[in-house]
Amino acid sequence: MPAEYLLLMLACVAITLPLEFVLGARVYRRPRRLVLAVLPLLVIFYVWDAVAIARGHWDYSPAHTTGWLLPFAVPIEEMVFFIVIPLCGLLTFEAVGRMLGKRSAASAASSSEPSPRSRNVPSLPEFREQERVPGAKDGGTGVGDA
Amino acid sequence: MPEYTVATAVAVVAVVAVELLWARTGIFRTAQYWITMAIVFFFQVLVDGWLTKLSDPIVRYAPAQFAGIRFPLDIPIEDFGFGFALVTGTIIAWQLAGRKETA
Repeated sequence: MPAEYLLLMLACVAITLPLEFVLGARVYRRPRRLVLAVLPLLVIFYVWDAVAIARGHWDYSPAHTTGWLLPFAVPIEEMVFFIVIPLCGLLTFEAVGRMLGKRSAASAASSSEPSPRSRNVPSLPEFREQERVPGAKDGGTGVGDA
Repeated sequence: MPEYTVATAVAVVAVVAVELLWARTGIFRTAQYWITMAIVFFFQVLVDGWLTKLSDPIVRYAPAQFAGIRFPLDIPIEDFGFGFALVTGTIIAWQLAGRKETA
């Protein structure tokens, strides 16, 4: 099946969606930061792939790829790979961070009873509020100093 | 030495050097990073295992260009260095971009 490699990448995107929308990873919702994180590695690994293909380190099964080649004979699937896999890594990293933060927050608040927050999926405004805290604090300090 | 083996070793050393000497995000000292990498490793075995399975491979490796060790499944061991460099590099860049965002 020529779409097999692309479908595998699609499966990676699908399986990690709950990390964003259930566990609250907030990776898709910070698109600028996401681009800044993915783009440099995409460029480096694209070059690596192009060199490896040119030097015959590996090639791709024509039966499982679309055959659509980007510059330097890099299959479109490989560029998708260099976006999807880092994205999955970041979603995991942020979801793990939220889980660890939630656990320490819950144990600090109460040891006998899970807090209502840890059971509920936090809403979007709650995330926004959290992200604004450092900025707001900085502003406050500035005013206090002046 | 096979070229893919050399390239992978260079990539791993380069990413670790970038973190320790320049970026200094501190991720190597956090449980968050190492738990992430354990999860990523598990899913890499599944996805990469599918890509490289010798019975019907999607990506086909020239035997002369890697060390020849395929483990686990049919995954050339170099792929784990490749994956480590890609994901760790991305997390470093993510942390740097976040630093700028809040600064």
